[in-house]
Amino acid sequence: MIEISGHNIIIALTIHYVDEPMLLKVRFHGRGGHGVKTASRILGEAAFNEGLYAQDSPIYGAERRGAPVAAFTRISDEEILERGFIFDPDIVVVMDETLLNDWSAKPLDGLKPGGIAFVNTTANSQLYDYGETIRENLVIYDLTGLALKIIGKPIISTPSAAAASKITGIISESSLIDAVTSELSEIGVGDDVIENNIILAREVFRSIPETPPSTKLSDSKRELIPLEVVISYPGYEDIVSVGNSPLRKTGNWRVFKPIVDFSRCTACGVCFVYCPDAAITLRSDGKPEIDYDNCKGCLICYRECPPRAISIEREVRVW
Amino acid sequence: MSETRFKTLRDTPLEDYLTPGSPLCAGCGGQLGLRIFHKVLGRNVVFVNAAGCLTLMFVYPYAPLRSSWMYTAFASAPAGAQGIRDALDILLAKHRIEPDEDLKVVVVTGDGAAYDIGLQATSGAIQRGLDFYYFVYDNEAYGNTGFQWSSATPVGSSTTTTPSSRFSPAGSLAEKKDLFEIWRAHKPPYVATVSVAHAVDMMRKIERSMGMRGPKLFIALAPCPTGWGFDPSEAIRIAKLAVETGVWPLKEAINGETRHTYIPRALRPVEEYLKTQARFAHLFKPKKQQEIINMIQERVNEYWLRVAEAEGITIKLATEVK
Repeated sequence: MIEISGHNIIIALTIHYVDEPMLLKVRFHGRGGHGVKTASRILGEAAFNEGLYAQDSPIYGAERRGAPVAAFTRISDEEILERGFIFDPDIVVVMDETLLNDWSAKPLDGLKPGGIAFVNTTANSQLYDYGETIRENLVIYDLTGLALKIIGKPIISTPSAAAASKITGIISESSLIDAVTSELSEIGVGDDVIENNIILAREVFRSIPETPPSTKLSDSKRELIPLEVVISYPGYEDIVSVGNSPLRKTGNWRVFKPIVDFSRCTACGVCFVYCPDAAITLRSDGKPEIDYDNCKGCLICYRECPPRAISIEREVRVW
Repeated sequence: MSETRFKTLRDTPLEDYLTPGSPLCAGCGGQLGLRIFHKVLGRNVVFVNAAGCLTLMFVYPYAPLRSSWMYTAFASAPAGAQGIRDALDILLAKHRIEPDEDLKVVVVTGDGAAYDIGLQATSGAIQRGLDFYYFVYDNEAYGNTGFQWSSATPVGSSTTTTPSSRFSPAGSLAEKKDLFEIWRAHKPPYVATVSVAHAVDMMRKIERSMGMRGPKLFIALAPCPTGWGFDPSEAIRIAKLAVETGVWPLKEAINGETRHTYIPRALRPVEEYLKTQARFAHLFKPKKQQEIINMIQERVNEYWLRVAEAEGITIKLATEVK
């Protein structure tokens, strides 16, 4: 740390003393488009800026924007020999609370006893029951709300990385901000947007309590990790029928929900024609009915509605 | 022109063969195109698909269509269509299926398969007179793999393989391949360009082609929120702007004779279209690249001048800023 006060330059060094080798494993869960991969990269680089070893990697399947995505960051004060998916995280960052109920994402799987779960939610922790697993060590914050306010878009890579950085208790604000700047410029984000992301990062970093996990950090140090084969197929007869995709319930991809004001609706059918997902059907009176279980919230209907009979509302809890 | 059952948007068939809950991006123009295409063709359709975004519609265990779908290798969708058509014809000839059980064979691919990798197989299928439909959702790059350049990428677009850089500030400088003309040169019974924002025009074209035997080919401009960089809600507006600025002409060719189905009488400046998308953002920031924008405008103007001349009409062109 370099501090300039008057004409004197005071140089102070901050050193983290760690009793035993540590390996901190952070797993991010979000949806394509949230900035999950970037979040893990920012956290990794912030740790690197602290003089630590860091490793990050994303995993996503063939699916598109909106589908569950995960990313992993390992932080250590020694060379990291472990590779691959993180099955036993010390910290999980759930960037979309609807993922808590998603059988394919399973964000809390393998969280170590004493580990920390961060959930991006508008809810008050008392409002919903997240289950025994994380009741003890739950940190919540409405990252999406803040992102919408500051950068105008529900992209939460920076605030998620800021939340994770603060929770670890070993990353300073300046290391985080340096990481935000360099990672975002690397992917071609404009200077004005980076400025706003820095404001966002500082705000989140300062609001969230430092809550280092009480897991035994050296648990898996220098051990051979058996590779897990994850098999989780739902098995029921619906899988052999065509047109079974409504079972996927893509409604939890939404950030905003379109709502029809039927008194203003003229039954023109524009919303029905232009819905890319066939999530709008027409009732017998020609007015639309939205399938909220599967509407992805693209908001074409809201934008195109000629009498402006469709309004939008921030989605709070979908499932 | 013959009577059409599609006069306004209200004539859009109510029945949907696409079911909600596909894994594609919110606001996907390609999927909207497929949905409308399927509505008009009706239930008895078999799709033959080559690698692209829409391939992901069928991710086990979910199927978002109430019809059949077959994958082929990237280059082979029209060959796959030939096999299915032949099999159906044999079954019909042997009375193993009834005529009302016959299926329309539809190739559906993105621009990567249509413009680049599967062009040869398509050329062969058209030349053989295969009775099939080809529906291209053209998002002007390899969107599925992260938006790499394809030969459908327009001048001035940045892609991950043609980024705006010190060496090439404009992004891609290659001319977009004119697939309509390449296909038209084969003299198929029907070839058309369509836009998802002009649903009535699109439905009429599909309807018109349905009475014809042989290759029936459609190129749809498919706004891609993820690749082009715009808010998903803007998809239809951007598709409309492509038509109103003259960047995407709506036309058809019956047995090789071209006719424009919609002629904007006063073109809006291309800048209005380019400005809406992040893939063209480098043309405006940090320094406006007026010469590239002018070049794009000039090409558009040249195109519509030829159309005006051929049709004997006047079209008010958008002026270039000097």
